[in-house]
Amino acid sequence: MGDGEKADKAEKERRRIKSTEAMRELMTRYYVDAKTAGERGVKVAWITSGGPVEPLWCFDVIPVYPENHGAMCGAAHMAVELAEKAEERGFSRDICSYARCDFGSAYTGGGPIGGLPRPDFLVCCNNICNTVVKWYEELARYFQVPLFIFDTPFVRGGLKEHAAAYVLRQMEEYFAFLEGATGKEMDEARFLEVAARSLEAISLWKDILSCAENVPSPMTCFDAFILMAPVVTLRGTEGVISFYRGLLEEMRRRVEEGIAIIPGERLRLLWDNIPIWYEMRNLGRLFMEERACLVADTYTNAWTFDRVDVSRPMESLAEAYASVYLNIDLESMLEQVVALAGRFKVDGMIMHSNRSCKPYSLGQFDLARMFTERTGLPALIIEADHTDSRVYDRSDVETRIRHFLDLLA
Amino acid sequence: MEARDITDKCLDIWRDPYGFARGLKERGERPLAYFCSYAPEEIMHAAGFTPVRLMGATRNIASADAHLQAYCCAVARTDLDMALEGELDWLEGAVFVQTCDTMMRLSDIWRLNTSFPFHGDISLPVRMGEPVSLDYMREELASFRRSLEAYRGAPIAREDLERSIETYNRNRRLAGEVYRLRRERPEVLGGLEGTACVVAGLWMRKEEHNSLLEELLEGLDASDASDAAGGAGGDPLTPLFAAGSVCTTPDLFELARELRADIVDDDFCCGHRYIEGQVEPEGDDPLERIAERLSGRINCPAKHSAAEERTAYLAERVRACGAAGLVLFLQDFCEPWLFEVPFLKERLRDEGIPVLVLESDLQSFSRGQLRTRLQAFLETIRGV
Repeated sequence: MGDGEKADKAEKERRRIKSTEAMRELMTRYYVDAKTAGERGVKVAWITSGGPVEPLWCFDVIPVYPENHGAMCGAAHMAVELAEKAEERGFSRDICSYARCDFGSAYTGGGPIGGLPRPDFLVCCNNICNTVVKWYEELARYFQVPLFIFDTPFVRGGLKEHAAAYVLRQMEEYFAFLEGATGKEMDEARFLEVAARSLEAISLWKDILSCAENVPSPMTCFDAFILMAPVVTLRGTEGVISFYRGLLEEMRRRVEEGIAIIPGERLRLLWDNIPIWYEMRNLGRLFMEERACLVADTYTNAWTFDRVDVSRPMESLAEAYASVYLNIDLESMLEQVVALAGRFKVDGMIMHSNRSCKPYSLGQFDLARMFTERTGLPALIIEADHTDSRVYDRSDVETRIRHFLDLLA
Repeated sequence: MEARDITDKCLDIWRDPYGFARGLKERGERPLAYFCSYAPEEIMHAAGFTPVRLMGATRNIASADAHLQAYCCAVARTDLDMALEGELDWLEGAVFVQTCDTMMRLSDIWRLNTSFPFHGDISLPVRMGEPVSLDYMREELASFRRSLEAYRGAPIAREDLERSIETYNRNRRLAGEVYRLRRERPEVLGGLEGTACVVAGLWMRKEEHNSLLEELLEGLDASDASDAAGGAGGDPLTPLFAAGSVCTTPDLFELARELRADIVDDDFCCGHRYIEGQVEPEGDDPLERIAERLSGRINCPAKHSAAEERTAYLAERVRACGAAGLVLFLQDFCEPWLFEVPFLKERLRDEGIPVLVLESDLQSFSRGQLRTRLQAFLETIRGV
């Protein structure tokens, strides 16, 4: 190895985010725990990514996330063969590919971790979409297990009083449901503990994402897509807090030492929508070549509740879950996107029009137009699907991104 | 009017609903659009508006593609397109009931890009039909009522609301009679004609539609099979049951007739789901009673139902009307229905009910393709 090569390698190592290993360990332990739960008499619940998970930890139930699993299958390039299993059973290619992939994995035990552990019951919260309601109904039929629906009506303007009352009533029902499903009694002190830990994890996560405000940025949102797995799945547990403390420390150190994730960062971009999981590596390479850093996104910020009031945890959690980014009107979304653009000092926005996700994607054309009107910054919309690579046209998308970046530079 | 003239008139309306509805405005009515059978029409009607349904059109998209991706249903896309093209300038506004994810986003897109004087939103619960959501529903209706009152600058009087409830209850009862005739005496009233007479009411003030249905029912009572409206005569037609969301055009029903079949009953939201149930005529709180009717209906697939509820419901209705098979007529990209298809198909087939799934495509509408598939299905049923 020549000196140049050595220096290159050392530089690469310096830029690498070291906490990724700790995360891999954390997530492996979690999946091992979840997959062996049955042997230990521990119950497993499948839950949607935006669902209230704190009550599950409070009842010692291990939450498992089909969406997170779908993302893993997508990143491992295994989603299509799983989706095909669902399509063989009559599911249309026009339904969400996460759902198809999840069904395929349930039927065959396929996927990078050999499928998810069988659920004892299901918890579905429609604050991210109404697709999950239909998806979980099918899971309930397939596994013949109880399903709890936590209904969060769409919010226009602000959360109305009667909507807040409705979600709170369901939060109470949810606890009663869990008492029935586990045979345990609700332990209020325990709940407060879990909720406090969840808030701490969320607040650490927010601080971590904020580190990308620094120029140059110590991380890209593609890193955040990977590093968010613990806050999605494990918020409310102790392990996630120590992990994020370590990650935050690392990010702050990188900022201090001026370690940029994209060497020679010349452009800063905002990403909208779920990642194109099977294409992360290729797109990462492209942005690296173009010295463009995706500094923030609307997706990982979904777990940053800022209005939670610990003095009324149940109400305030219920309200926070009802008002997440995907459950609000377009103008309210615009406010958040504009705020992100300002905070992270971006030069433009790339929006993934995701064939599998209507609530995230329908309205993007208007959002893009309003965003440009408000900020003077351009936006590019690319067509793809979060896990179904069959609908993705790589050369077309990459050409469009390169043109867009040329325009910005 | 003779029964035949009435059914002809209704078919004409179904063929060109928005041309007909434009006439309402010319006659001094105030048409207010809605998209979903969960819209509380009684409240709109009591406020002095004529509720009219937008349910898509067969057309090429001119302007909507700049606002809506191609992977949502053509009903949403063509409705928006008509609005953007100025073809709905006779409307005073539109009421969006949050049926599904597409309608939820369409509401904002519509409001931001059109300039109708009124825009209404109602956020339906997904747990329709469960007691836990009833208060919430009632309050959503109250909030909608207030927005209409603010717009028209006057409260809606209790008597007016009760009168509208009565008018709509009467309408559902009469439409129910039409359905009964169509099921029990298909030789007197065919599925095509019967459905047309109910569907045409989606673009009429209900008082007028009630008179029309009364006249039709009287006329049919007096008639026998030989001069009936749509009574096909000759060999009996193969009875079918159809389900789905909306039938934008009468083509499915016409094709069935051409192929010597008859859709004797349905579960469409422009059909049976629209006329199902009644608002309690008496009671303190009219809004609560309206909410109770909406909750009491069989849920639209975009709402949550217990695991086997819809399958059991459809199987029972198919059997009750003696249909030889079920046709699922779905909108393209309609996730709520598409998720149900594999289970429905499997379970109904287990019960000996053959199922055909057809997808409606309003943009490249191909009658020939629909005909071929329906014909093949009928041949299987008849064992030809």
